[in-house]
Amino acid sequence: MTILESTAANQYDAIVVGSGISGGWAAKELTKHGLRTLVLERGRDVKHVTDYPTGMMSPWEFEHRTQLPLEIKEANPIVSKCYAFYEGSTHFFVKDAEHPYVQEKPFDWIRGYQVGGKSLLWARQTQRWSDFDFEGPARDGFAVDWPIRYADIAPWYSYVEKFAGISGNKDGLPNLPDGEFQKPHEMNCVEDYFQKQIASKYKDRNVIQGRCAHLTEPKDIHFQQGRAQCQHRTICERGCPFGGYFSSNASTIPWAAKTGKMTLRPHSVVHSIIYDEKKGKATGVRVIDANTKKMTEYYARIIFVNAAALNTNLVLLNSTSNRFPNGLGNDSGVLGKYVAFHNYRATISAEYDGFLDMKTEGRRPNSPYIPRFRNVHKQETNFLRGYAAGFNAGRGTYTNQDGIGADLKKNLMNPSWGGWHVGSHMMGETIPKENSTVQLDPNKKDPFGIPQLAINMFYDDNDEKMIKDFHEQFTEMYTAAGFKNIRTRDSKQAPGLDIHEMGGVRMGKDPKTSMLNKWNQLHACKNVFVTDGASMTSTSTQNPSLTYMALTARAVDYAVKEMKKQNL
Amino acid sequence: MAAAFGGLLSLPSWAQQWTPETVAGSPLLSALEESTLADLAETIIPETDIPGAKSLGVPAYIQKIVNDCMDTKAQETLKNGLYTVSDLAQKSSGGKTFSGMDTNQRLNFLNQLNAGADEETKDFFKLVKSLTIRGFTTSEYFQTNINHYQLVPGFYHGCVPVSTGK
Repeated sequence: MTILESTAANQYDAIVVGSGISGGWAAKELTKHGLRTLVLERGRDVKHVTDYPTGMMSPWEFEHRTQLPLEIKEANPIVSKCYAFYEGSTHFFVKDAEHPYVQEKPFDWIRGYQVGGKSLLWARQTQRWSDFDFEGPARDGFAVDWPIRYADIAPWYSYVEKFAGISGNKDGLPNLPDGEFQKPHEMNCVEDYFQKQIASKYKDRNVIQGRCAHLTEPKDIHFQQGRAQCQHRTICERGCPFGGYFSSNASTIPWAAKTGKMTLRPHSVVHSIIYDEKKGKATGVRVIDANTKKMTEYYARIIFVNAAALNTNLVLLNSTSNRFPNGLGNDSGVLGKYVAFHNYRATISAEYDGFLDMKTEGRRPNSPYIPRFRNVHKQETNFLRGYAAGFNAGRGTYTNQDGIGADLKKNLMNPSWGGWHVGSHMMGETIPKENSTVQLDPNKKDPFGIPQLAINMFYDDNDEKMIKDFHEQFTEMYTAAGFKNIRTRDSKQAPGLDIHEMGGVRMGKDPKTSMLNKWNQLHACKNVFVTDGASMTSTSTQNPSLTYMALTARAVDYAVKEMKKQNL
Repeated sequence: MAAAFGGLLSLPSWAQQWTPETVAGSPLLSALEESTLADLAETIIPETDIPGAKSLGVPAYIQKIVNDCMDTKAQETLKNGLYTVSDLAQKSSGGKTFSGMDTNQRLNFLNQLNAGADEETKDFFKLVKSLTIRGFTTSEYFQTNINHYQLVPGFYHGCVPVSTGK
């Protein structure tokens, strides 16, 4: 590391730390208002289409036909556990050695360091949250009360949905508000059958089509982005050259670039945020160039921290000053605490012997969804909160592989249809706890000399009870639908593989117990905003990304108004 | 300039790392083992009116996967197994190599091998057979002609009568 270098040329109106799902939205919204915006990304640039090296490859074109070489697996025991990490996608994941961290308890931290971040890798489910989620902590007595309600964010959900492009049905469910939808993906015979069975047997349980960020009926606004209809390739984690699904790379980042107001700086590892005690606000960020290791300061009137939940915690914790010795804005002492995630441990599978004269054709980048039905209107179980679940049915082929020679070959060439198989996985809400934390390790440093993050997240008794309930309830539902050979499984996987880590910089009404106000603004440092997963007060049972997008657009709108009023 | 073109020193650094192994295929197998493996795969999935293992590049696939994606134990199983096959083939056929046998002799030999009591040989045969099947069914020929793989299907139909073919 060399001397600080700082000039007037490093002055911007706004700085965005991170270019993933929420950082991309911050960049788009800030530049829309004419703000000269610097977007800092610690990884390399990934340009839409041209930097998707495997985006148009067929499986047989891969050196190992998509299988991971042993050397890569052995060198990357953590990221190799991720379902989307294979020969076609390794270039979009952080390798274990690239950014070490401390696992105080087992935690599989899955990251994407490049322009676009994990928006190239996400599973693209975009369910809105409802008041059952925003009111949860106040009603159930965990975490702290959210400072917002559904009505505060509903128009912003609509705003981001229209631009991103979301497909789904208007299902009219109070616990899963409808949005601005393009036509839904199709259900298959068995999914449709299960939907009807559940509807006839339960008043409060629904099987619906998943809502997801795929263009099924692209509108003008999507063509203007250069995006086209989803082609059902289901190789989304390689980057979609069609822009069929929402990613920062295909959508918000190029949109921001078109304004001429954005400066994108890849290879920029943010070390900390600079706090000026005389001015009583943040003035900029310290950046380590990933290639030269040289440190530079960049300045701006407002700063959006969108480094992805845990790295946002890290940046704030590492931003110390006389005023904030325990991390920027951390008067309450809750920075890095109350982190939580989603419980994906439990699955259930079965077989169905109906519809043997029917099959599916093509591929679908989505699947049906069963919204939370436990403890929605009142507390009815011995655990807090609940779980949503995915559901899907499919039919595979079967081949006799006995013998060798011409007979074996003939069998391989003539597969026969097997039966239908069905499966569900739970997505349970974990309860944010004070002792569920991320902190800076006092001794260990990363390759840039920044303290390593020590992660301490864990399942508790509430999670175990929820897993048991999921298995019981779904066994009952599967049995009622006539599914056979029901098998329940608990993967016992560590937190992290869900890739839904949230919290640590939570929103709240009271500065004594939270970090951010209802505008995602640091209570104690008003020109710094956090709008990624770190800001989440609780985790709900819905996928979080859509909420990050809506919170970001809303916070930028507020920040710009405040700047105009000279309040920032 | 002229001197630079003349001597060994002018070879680019990557070329100086050439060894007989890296230039001639897999570092794992000898030429004899390679041809035995190729004939084994071809016996398991032979050429008929459509291509067999050899013409679809299955032997090279097997070497690649065992070498790059599998552990040392699997690599030893493959190498030792190929040696055993060569050895047993010569003993049982009065000096013929496995490759020197005709199709029926190869089939009989492999069936006997698989029916035998030696666990190591059975493991070897299981490995080669499963990789031959995988190499065949993941080949471009199989994927496009039999599996009707499309990189860009563009659709999903959830309820199609099985009788519509494909």
